[in-house]
Amino acid sequence: MSLAVALPHTRVSPLVLALAAVLVVLIAPPAIFLLDVSLHETRPDGSFGAFTLRFYRELAAERLFLASARNTVLYALGSSIIAIVIGTAQALIVERTDTPGRNLAFFAAIISLGVPHILYVVAWLLLLGRAGPVNDVIHFLVGPATAIDVYSIGGMALIEGIGFVPLTFLLMSAVLRSMDASFEEAAIMAGASPLRAFSAVTLRMGAPALCALALLFFARAFESFEVPALVGLAGNINVLTTTIFQAVHRTGMPSYGEAGAYSVSLVIVIALLLFWQSRLTRHAHRYQSITGKGFRPRILDLGPWRYVGTAILVALFLIVTVVPVAILIFTSFQPFYDGLSIEAFGRASLDNYRVLLGPGSFRDSIVNTIILGAATASFVVPFTALCGWLVARRVPGAALLDHLATLPLVFPALILGVAFLDVFVNVPLPLYGTLVSVIIASSVRYLPYGMRYAYAGALQIHPDLEGAATIVGAPFATVFRRVVVPLLAAPLISTWLVVFLLSVQVVALPLLLVGPGSEVMAVTLFELWQNGQVTELASMGAVWIALMTAVSTAFHLITRHKQIAA
Amino acid sequence: MILACGCARTVRFAVTAALGTALAGFASGASAQDILLDHGSGREQATLDGARKEGQIVLYSAAIVNQALRPLSDAFMKKYPFLKMTFWRGDTEEIIAKLGAEQRANNIVADVAEGTGVGDLAVGAGLTEPFFTPQVEALPERYRDPSDRWSYTRISYFCIAYNTKLVAPADAPKSYDDLLDPRWQGKLAWRVGTASGTPLFITALRLSRGEDKALAYLHKLAQQKMINFGSGSARTLVDRVIAGEFPIALNIFAHHPLISKAKGAPVNSQLLAPVPSTAGTLVIVKGVRHPNAALLLADFILSKEGQQILADAEYFPVRSDVAPQPALASVIPERAGMPELFLSPDLLNRNTARSEKIFEELFQ
Repeated sequence: MSLAVALPHTRVSPLVLALAAVLVVLIAPPAIFLLDVSLHETRPDGSFGAFTLRFYRELAAERLFLASARNTVLYALGSSIIAIVIGTAQALIVERTDTPGRNLAFFAAIISLGVPHILYVVAWLLLLGRAGPVNDVIHFLVGPATAIDVYSIGGMALIEGIGFVPLTFLLMSAVLRSMDASFEEAAIMAGASPLRAFSAVTLRMGAPALCALALLFFARAFESFEVPALVGLAGNINVLTTTIFQAVHRTGMPSYGEAGAYSVSLVIVIALLLFWQSRLTRHAHRYQSITGKGFRPRILDLGPWRYVGTAILVALFLIVTVVPVAILIFTSFQPFYDGLSIEAFGRASLDNYRVLLGPGSFRDSIVNTIILGAATASFVVPFTALCGWLVARRVPGAALLDHLATLPLVFPALILGVAFLDVFVNVPLPLYGTLVSVIIASSVRYLPYGMRYAYAGALQIHPDLEGAATIVGAPFATVFRRVVVPLLAAPLISTWLVVFLLSVQVVALPLLLVGPGSEVMAVTLFELWQNGQVTELASMGAVWIALMTAVSTAFHLITRHKQIAA
Repeated sequence: MILACGCARTVRFAVTAALGTALAGFASGASAQDILLDHGSGREQATLDGARKEGQIVLYSAAIVNQALRPLSDAFMKKYPFLKMTFWRGDTEEIIAKLGAEQRANNIVADVAEGTGVGDLAVGAGLTEPFFTPQVEALPERYRDPSDRWSYTRISYFCIAYNTKLVAPADAPKSYDDLLDPRWQGKLAWRVGTASGTPLFITALRLSRGEDKALAYLHKLAQQKMINFGSGSARTLVDRVIAGEFPIALNIFAHHPLISKAKGAPVNSQLLAPVPSTAGTLVIVKGVRHPNAALLLADFILSKEGQQILADAEYFPVRSDVAPQPALASVIPERAGMPELFLSPDLLNRNTARSEKIFEELFQ
């Protein structure tokens, strides 16, 4: 490794120090705020009062703590398993088989990522709710006594899990694409069945990436809010985030102590998990499969089974994308939603779209939102690509970058918003209430996503390639630019798109940061939901999804072009 | 306050600069308090002259943007073309969080804040300046604050909503005691996680029945396996009732079901005696940068014109000379022949903590 070789006696390379400094500047203010808020009483005006440990004591003594902790683990496990199993299976079909129509899966995944999470959850509730079409079918087939109860842990894990299938698919397919398939091929040549080749070779080679992904999703579920609030609370099921949310809102005047104590505890748990994961990937070089020789992945000929592959992909596309989007589109033509019925079709009108085209915050906020997404992704992706590569190369001190960049994953967005409000209102720069402040906050929030992704990709590039470049005299910057970036191009472009699509739909973070004139789309959608304008929300959502589909299509074409070029 | 320690000097510089602009805004050199509490005959002209120099005004409000805030701001700027009005919409908790942060950093952006529960929370946290507006004279006595800390802007009445496909109008509960009927077990939803949800319901019972009787009632209600709905506003709960997810919702804003019913949705409101009511409040922020413009806005929101805009946005006006929308009139207790229990922000605030505690003990 160039840096390690160049600086054999330095414990921490200057580049790592510089990157760590940037991370500390970004992350320290909200982190310190979290710690502070968990250790002090909050006065009515929001300033800190006396030092106290009571929030930690109360957290441990919380009557509901054990029950919600158990629910949280079940929910996190369930949703991670659903997302990873389905997403990985889909990625394998697309990347490793000759299933017809497989390339459309990317398109499907990307459309689905463009559906704001809150709309997506609403759509699933419309579908699976007591008055929804799924229960109507069950009543028709089995009788009125039987019904599925979506307001349960199972329902929560299902909605959250399916919601994360597209992300898993995109991440896993990028990993698979850059994994040398000749090992699988060798296994099959040696007489192993495709299934055996998959379990003995592919799965094991992809283990570090899978592990990183599992950790990401597990931690995310711990912090997730929409599904626990919309699905869980309606069924009296509390997970830790909703318990905290209720504590925050207990007496009208927000008190963030308990939420702070919760986040700090969570940071410790995640730090332990990360430590465990870094031990697990200690022998990461074993997984490097992109070497100097041609690594173009080969495709498995499924024979007649390839149509089964197509059927699976179509079914997934229907479940993950078409059905939720269809119910939203249906709702967008309704004056109100009370289930899917023939009667309801008779009520259809364009009224909601008419409201949309009138003067309103929708058009004002679209441009802001696109700037927000593009700026966030354009900062996060190159930054984490560099960090992820340094970590994968075990440059001295780089593990610190990994830990720092993963930290924001466990800051609940609710608290992160409050923390950043406090930061920006105090910074002697005119940032408070501006779009720039939202961009900075959302960059911090999506660092972990970029990091996990870049790291998984970089793990698979054999350092020989960089070594070769170094030997012929390429300076460090050139090695990164000419060797690493092109090899990582496909995953980096997908990461850009993913960060873009995720950052434009987050609600809790910009809620307090935006001011007059800097409104963003997600907040407008959230307000429509709060004001009970579900049908207007659906029409705005439909327009938004169409727009995001256009952006995603453009990207898909660029990525394909890139692949051809590579 | 993390950064204050790190860059105290720069912050101080910014504060001085901010104060400088604030002071420059005061037309006659009078203090903000003098301007805000002026009862004199020259008030109107002085306010106009001052506002002309200030040139802008910022409102934080919890009212709906498209129906209320935008028409309000358009009409206000049409009336006072020399003022540029901007607004930011947030829930009460968010408004308070923002006002508090601005105050601590001495970086005041908002001039006026409005919303249900905003008044008492903001006053309690010391974030406001008392002010006088002659418009209060047009309000009924019970809707005036004797110490000029806030003014009421719109009234809300609370009742139950039921899905008319799942509950026949004849069967719908007509009194608090009807809610205890075993047939409603597991079918009653109420909103948790906000002061206008379960705490308001419990406070209203305690104040109307007395502590002991209220507690006895709530013990029985706890047998009904209440659905603690924590995933949105009162309005979203009504939508879940329309969608058929819950047959009955307690403690929702009485006009919401009527608005949906007018569009043909299978939902209706049912008042229970006594009908709890509360009011949105308007405050002027401490350290206000545009005190004259703030007064003009307060006057405007309470004027007949401003109240009419709120009435058109389907809120209940606080002035008795502005009529609410006819379709909504049926839930005004006075017209329905029901007693009203007005919960002033003070009263609500004093009782919320105890009501929350009761909720936690019996319903969580």
